[in-house]
Amino acid sequence: MKSRIELHPARNPSLSRGKTKPAALLTTPQAPRLPIRLLTAVPICDGHDSAINTINLEFIRQGIEVIYLGYHRSAGDIVRAAVQEDVRAIGLSSYNGGHVEFFAEVLNLLKKYGARDIGVFGGGGGTITPADARAMEKNGVDRIFFPGTPLTEMVTFVKKSYGAPRSIRVPRASRTTTLTDRHLAQLLTAVEMKAHCPKLSSQRSVKPSRVIGITGPGGAGKTTLIDELVLRFLGAAPRARVAILSHDPSLVGHGALLGDRATMIYSQNDRVFMRSVATRGQSGGLSPATEPSLDVLKYCGFDLVLVETVGIGQEALPFGRELVDRTILVMSPDYGSRLQLQKIVMLDVADILVLNKSDLAAAKTAAAEIEQRLALNQRGQKLICTAAKRHRDPGVDALFQWLQP
Amino acid sequence: MSVLDQVCHSVEAHDNFVEQQVARARSETPFRDQILERWQAVRAGIGTVATPTGLKLPRLALPQTDEPGEITRYLYGEGLPGEFPFLNAAYPEMYLEPGELTEKTEPKSRLANRQSEEPTRLFAGLGLAEDTNRRFHYLTRQQNSIRLSTAFDGPTLYGLDSDSDGVFGKIGEGGVAIDTIDDMERLYAGFPLGDEHFSVSMTINGPAPIILAMYVAAAQRRFGPGVVPKLRGTVQADVLKEVQAQNEIIFPIDASLRFLTDMAEFTVTRLPRWYPISISGYHIAEAGATPVQQAAYTLANGFTYIQLFRERGLDVNQFGPRLSFFLDCGLDIEYVALARVCRKLWAIGLRDVFGADARAQLFKLHTQTSGRSLIAHEFKNNLTRTAAELMLAYINATNSCHSNSADEPFTTPSEENVRLAAQAQAILLEESGLFRFLMNTLGGSPGMKIVEQAVQEGVLSEFREIDRLGGVLAAIEHRYQRSQIQASAHRYEQQINDGTRPIIGLNRYRDANAKAPAVKVVRTPRRKKQLQIERLERFKRQHRSEAGRALDDLAQVVRQGGNVFAQLIKTVERCSLGQITARLHELVGHYRPTI
Repeated sequence: MKSRIELHPARNPSLSRGKTKPAALLTTPQAPRLPIRLLTAVPICDGHDSAINTINLEFIRQGIEVIYLGYHRSAGDIVRAAVQEDVRAIGLSSYNGGHVEFFAEVLNLLKKYGARDIGVFGGGGGTITPADARAMEKNGVDRIFFPGTPLTEMVTFVKKSYGAPRSIRVPRASRTTTLTDRHLAQLLTAVEMKAHCPKLSSQRSVKPSRVIGITGPGGAGKTTLIDELVLRFLGAAPRARVAILSHDPSLVGHGALLGDRATMIYSQNDRVFMRSVATRGQSGGLSPATEPSLDVLKYCGFDLVLVETVGIGQEALPFGRELVDRTILVMSPDYGSRLQLQKIVMLDVADILVLNKSDLAAAKTAAAEIEQRLALNQRGQKLICTAAKRHRDPGVDALFQWLQP
Repeated sequence: MSVLDQVCHSVEAHDNFVEQQVARARSETPFRDQILERWQAVRAGIGTVATPTGLKLPRLALPQTDEPGEITRYLYGEGLPGEFPFLNAAYPEMYLEPGELTEKTEPKSRLANRQSEEPTRLFAGLGLAEDTNRRFHYLTRQQNSIRLSTAFDGPTLYGLDSDSDGVFGKIGEGGVAIDTIDDMERLYAGFPLGDEHFSVSMTINGPAPIILAMYVAAAQRRFGPGVVPKLRGTVQADVLKEVQAQNEIIFPIDASLRFLTDMAEFTVTRLPRWYPISISGYHIAEAGATPVQQAAYTLANGFTYIQLFRERGLDVNQFGPRLSFFLDCGLDIEYVALARVCRKLWAIGLRDVFGADARAQLFKLHTQTSGRSLIAHEFKNNLTRTAAELMLAYINATNSCHSNSADEPFTTPSEENVRLAAQAQAILLEESGLFRFLMNTLGGSPGMKIVEQAVQEGVLSEFREIDRLGGVLAAIEHRYQRSQIQASAHRYEQQINDGTRPIIGLNRYRDANAKAPAVKVVRTPRRKKQLQIERLERFKRQHRSEAGRALDDLAQVVRQGGNVFAQLIKTVERCSLGQITARLHELVGHYRPTI
């Protein structure tokens, strides 16, 4: 097919444009059964995350993939994330009041996104009275759990309510299609199910998005760095859009806690499309879904696509040959000895090496050692020192400049 | 060697020193005679009290021993109430009603130093400023002294205005809504802010400097600039525990600590009766920490604040007495001695590591009974839980105490339950004979001493772990405290789930037919929430022309490294809480949450 199509996620993703062509109906039985994906969060102005942390762990143990958005999150952030992640349901833990209004706002926003098939359940302290719960359930909340509910009861509820094979409508890519966040998210799910390969690249004549791969050991600060880059990106180009494909490990035999969103401040934005992916048994830092997902994201009108791997080991080369346009290896100064540095294979292939946490005492030595290591490669690799946790860190500014096309 | 490591060494050195003195008292005659002479004087100095049944008892119970080694261990290792290392109490006299001492044979200085005010504090905040104001007036009808303790609603705690996106449902829920200086004026209307018998406590952290600035500015409006040095009270402002547990920090840690230090610097010299920080373990414990973790992280945070304030050039003997502490008291056995250990470790750290004088060594403690221990099922059991916790708190000689209301698991407490909670304290302190006559009836029992040693060991081992990570701030970067607290919380939940932690009425002796409690829930009506927004909009309209300039002035102080708190007292006249935090966010960024 050689039709020219415009595959933009809607500029205003809070509303679906409804201009899609008749959709293809897909059901999971034809495809590998995917784990249940849930989004959990604590509402705005509420920092009570103790209960939800415990519940998240139990969900993961029971094979569920949990995208955790963290505490003090607005209904807008929650629904945007739930739609982008194409979860089956949203679980909210509310402790300090205002729950009736908050849950109602979440339901309303889901409706606006055309995503009322995403379930909503919740619970919290005894501030939610039985009368409140009845009213909330009448209003569309699937279930409110009261204090003292055994964790197993919640897991059973989730599996029963949200575990059934689902059918999703995948928008046909055509010239007039305008992809909303909702449609793009469903397309990614279809791709994960291996049930649908839209072959967007062959349908499109415009240039694909620039893709930057970001990898590095766990704890180096990859997520923080990405969030800070997104802040600069959004500030520099007032209409630009960015996509993030963020990986977290699945636990052996279990689900996964996909928690990168929880530590992101600036990426909760209508111009950012973020998808959290569990590795689902694949080693090396990425997921079986990575490549097909990137194939979709690259042709959806994003100005930039960022791919974050899970924390990698010394021998990992997560991006292969052609997956991304540029690679950034993020390290912190605590990599061990100079000998350890020799063993890090990514140092040979990364285009940019970011030494994060450059405020630490060991950073000076580390920078010198890494410089030497890169010099041996003779590939013109760039070393940039950052302290991404600092507000307006000049190192991150420099990295951002370097990444400009 | 970091501060925490030094504290560990000092505590060990002190314990060794005590044992050396014990040995000396047993072997060196002159020292023994000196000890015995002192012991005699101490005993002779203790007043006598008469019980209603006609018993005559000493006010202070001392160990019944004449053995010089044991006496030495008591005098040096525990200290008399008000004496180093303060295991028994921070002050020589506690919980005494005026005129109760029948024979004033003790030295005058001792009485002069006693804690003379009532220890009962009740935390309140609901709806709009005038609603909380009314509750304050209601509460203080039951108190002789006026000690207000203020809870703020969610938007205020996060520095957001009531008209912010998506917070409508939270306005006035769980605390009072404060957007502007006008609200602040309404909140404490009718109270004599500069009076020496009046004090106010404000439970707010991230935006604490802005809220306290509103308080100072509102007080000036009503009473003129002369009132400022007279203001008494406490603002929680403990941002480290927010990062570790409660999640109500809004600016990045370094900026938060700078704003806090600015505030402390200002209050230490200009509001000498103000406590600019309440170093809090309560939220650490409520988030799931064990009692030992609560004590260890709280004390470690406290030592960190001392370092920060000293780096600013403040004198530990000046600001030390303006630090206060806030701990949780639950039903775990550690609470038999937790506060005793805290007083000791703090005093040793302050004396031996920071060279502070006696006034700065005091660990002044406010206790609140455990909110987490309260259960919605058969909620009236909460009265018993709170009563038992209160007893533990007072056995630990807390300086003030808040007792939770039985209905708190589901709502802002009703007036009936608040009254019951307040009266629980009165029953314990005034009606029962437990604390009225002998001030330390159960103090120093063998069981208490054993728990005390175990708690001390646990706390020191936590100190060493944090020290290995590079100190409190470095440990925070490693998410150490958070993950430890979360692990404990998880274990606690599992124990409730599998029944190894019995919760009566929940996982044991549960009444299958028990109906959910029919409790009158206190909510803020929609029209009031609307009213709050209207007031805020009016304020913003009134100050529209000056607000931008005021924020620019503030920004300049932030950039140039001046005292932000001093400037905020001016800014709040023109700008709302949300306007101010928004500008500060532009300048210093947002706090990045960790999970």
